[in-house]
Amino acid sequence: MPYTPRPYKITGIKNLADDVKVFRIRCSMNPSPGRFMQVSIPGVGECPLTSCSYDPKYVDLLVRKAGNVTSALFRLKKGDRVFIRGPYGKGFPLNKIQKKKLILVAGGTGIAPVTSLIGYIEKNRREFGSVDIYFGFKDEGHILLKDKIRGWRKKFNIVVCLNKRVKDKKCEEGFVHEIMGKHWKNKDNKDTLAFLCGPEIMMDCVTKELNSFGMGNNKIYWSLERRMECAMGNCGRCLIQDLYVCKDGPVFRYDLIKPKIENEKASNEDYKGR
Amino acid sequence: MQKILPKKELKSFIERLMKKHKVIAPVKESPTKFRELENSEDIKNLSLREITVLSPKQFFIPENEVLLEFKNGKVIDVRKNPEDKEKNRIIFGVRKCDINALLVLDKVMKDPLYISKRKKTIIIGLHCEAPDKYCFCNSMISEEGSEKGYDLFFYLHKDNYYISIGSKKGLSLVSGLQSVKGKDEVIKKIKNFRALNDKGIERSYRNKIWESDADKCLSCSACTVDCPTCNCFDIRDELDANLKTGRRVRSFSSCQLRSFSRVAGGKIFRESRLARFKHFVYHKVVYYKKHFGRYMCTGCGRCLRVCPTKIDWVNTINLLNEIKDADNKGRMKK
Ligand SMILES: Cc1cc2nc3c(=O)[nH]c(=O)nc-3n(C[C@H](O)[C@H](O)[C@H](O)COP(=O)(O)OP(=O)(O)OC[C@H]3O[C@@H](n4cnc5c(N)ncnc54)[C@H](O)[C@@H]3O)c2cc1C
Ligand code: FES
Repeated sequence: MPYTPRPYKITGIKNLADDVKVFRIRCSMNPSPGRFMQVSIPGVGECPLTSCSYDPKYVDLLVRKAGNVTSALFRLKKGDRVFIRGPYGKGFPLNKIQKKKLILVAGGTGIAPVTSLIGYIEKNRREFGSVDIYFGFKDEGHILLKDKIRGWRKKFNIVVCLNKRVKDKKCEEGFVHEIMGKHWKNKDNKDTLAFLCGPEIMMDCVTKELNSFGMGNNKIYWSLERRMECAMGNCGRCLIQDLYVCKDGPVFRYDLIKPKIENEKASNEDYKGR
Repeated sequence: MQKILPKKELKSFIERLMKKHKVIAPVKESPTKFRELENSEDIKNLSLREITVLSPKQFFIPENEVLLEFKNGKVIDVRKNPEDKEKNRIIFGVRKCDINALLVLDKVMKDPLYISKRKKTIIIGLHCEAPDKYCFCNSMISEEGSEKGYDLFFYLHKDNYYISIGSKKGLSLVSGLQSVKGKDEVIKKIKNFRALNDKGIERSYRNKIWESDADKCLSCSACTVDCPTCNCFDIRDELDANLKTGRRVRSFSSCQLRSFSRVAGGKIFRESRLARFKHFVYHKVVYYKKHFGRYMCTGCGRCLRVCPTKIDWVNTINLLNEIKDADNKGRMKK
């Protein structure tokens, strides 16, 4: 039965911020970066979460407390079990990124899938050109995965942007799209691909900035969030016009999904009746 | 080859079926709907002429269906549940539009609960003698004949039913009846009083014409409830009062509800009723077709019939195409 999840043990929990924790789960699933799983607690419900690791022995779930299931997850302790089915969807197009220069941009919990991709890149570093990483967080208290970021500074060009006042000299003040420009050293963006994950408004602004550098929408990928129930193209919840976020995504080449997102948005914004 | 059953013998034919099978058929009740026949009184009350308010969809996708059960933190697969061993069923009196609806659902519903219900159900179709002003089934048949979707199909002609055979299972139910061949066979075409003239509406998504329909929409979701192909659902957990046992349940939902596209944090992706209304129409006429090569809509007309404010989206599509035709002509003259 495709809806039947399997139990997995939580082997470690880390608090990253007031409302964000990472759960390490012992399991050999090792989903390809960008794919997601339906994580559940019997009696509470299921919700889609992305692995933020890339390791055959465990899956790290970076979870923001947002509602019923995520709050129930926050009450679990090391040694408890969670139920998981999956993985589902299409992740980052790993077959297209070899030898390419990469720009990775993430905001808030959007760093989960991007972190998994970085894990993949670290294990296959020689296959890639330069890797530029831009992370955006609300303020210092909301910086996630500080330890990992410290490690990445040695291997990649990484910029951490905070929306609020900045004391930490390693971080910069402003929204990601405002700051990207001045770090854009390799003006030559031939053979460059960009992967974005975060609030849509952020991805929108970053995309415009990338466009202004001369990068086409067919070089930009968005990882999207939509309401999900089944995760396998049956329930119709995640449709953006004719595309299933669960099955055709959640990672989409932006030029292919852009008109569909904009059509639905226009139907909300241009219409007075609710 | 067809088989012939005298009209007056229909009752005894169904009684025979009832001996070995659970037989489900449309019964005169308010509202008329498909339900299991319990006795010969029910057979007298069959409602075979008018289209039923609800299609037989509920027998394949119940309004609420248990996907799995929990007990003390363990998950139990419902298929291992002995109660699942239902008798084989026959659904009698299914019209062409509702047979097509099952073929539409087959491409989306891929889970064993649905598939096993489909496998143990024999479909006996019945030619529709009384299409009304809302029916437009002839416009929505994309590949007539390539996939039958029925085990038997009944055409009433004068005092006899002429029965087409769609499968071996079907044949075994009528093997004792007299056969007819060639030009003595009776196949009828359904009359329609309206048509959906679809010349491609994909590019008309942002046309203002949709707003007049959306203005009337109450987002009541009656169209999706009555639609034989609407299958969108919710999955939720129920926990019993003992906090130890419970179940994960799939229940019908509707794209016409605001909560349908709501995510944590409160964002609703199809927030306006215009966006939701168009999602229904475009899913039926455009989106599904892109994935599966046929219309999701089968032209049964139920959404038009049930709509409390009488929104006629079929007419809107026809208008769109008239405007397009006029535009094209205008352009050619220039
Ligand atoms: C592909 C994908 C990957 C995601 N990855 C992560 C991640 O790595 N870390 C993280 O913190 N969050 C992630 N999210 C968002 C996360 O799924 C929601 O925060 C979560 O579903 C909220 O569930 P809840 O029960 O706590 O909230 P409630 O508001 O109580 O939601 C009730 C139910 O609605 C559904 N639902 C609500 N919000 C969403 C949503 N945004 N997307 C899909 N279904 C939803 C779920 O079935 C949920 O159980 C992801 C979402 C998607 C679509
Ligand atoms: S989540 Fe059910 S169709 Fe995508």
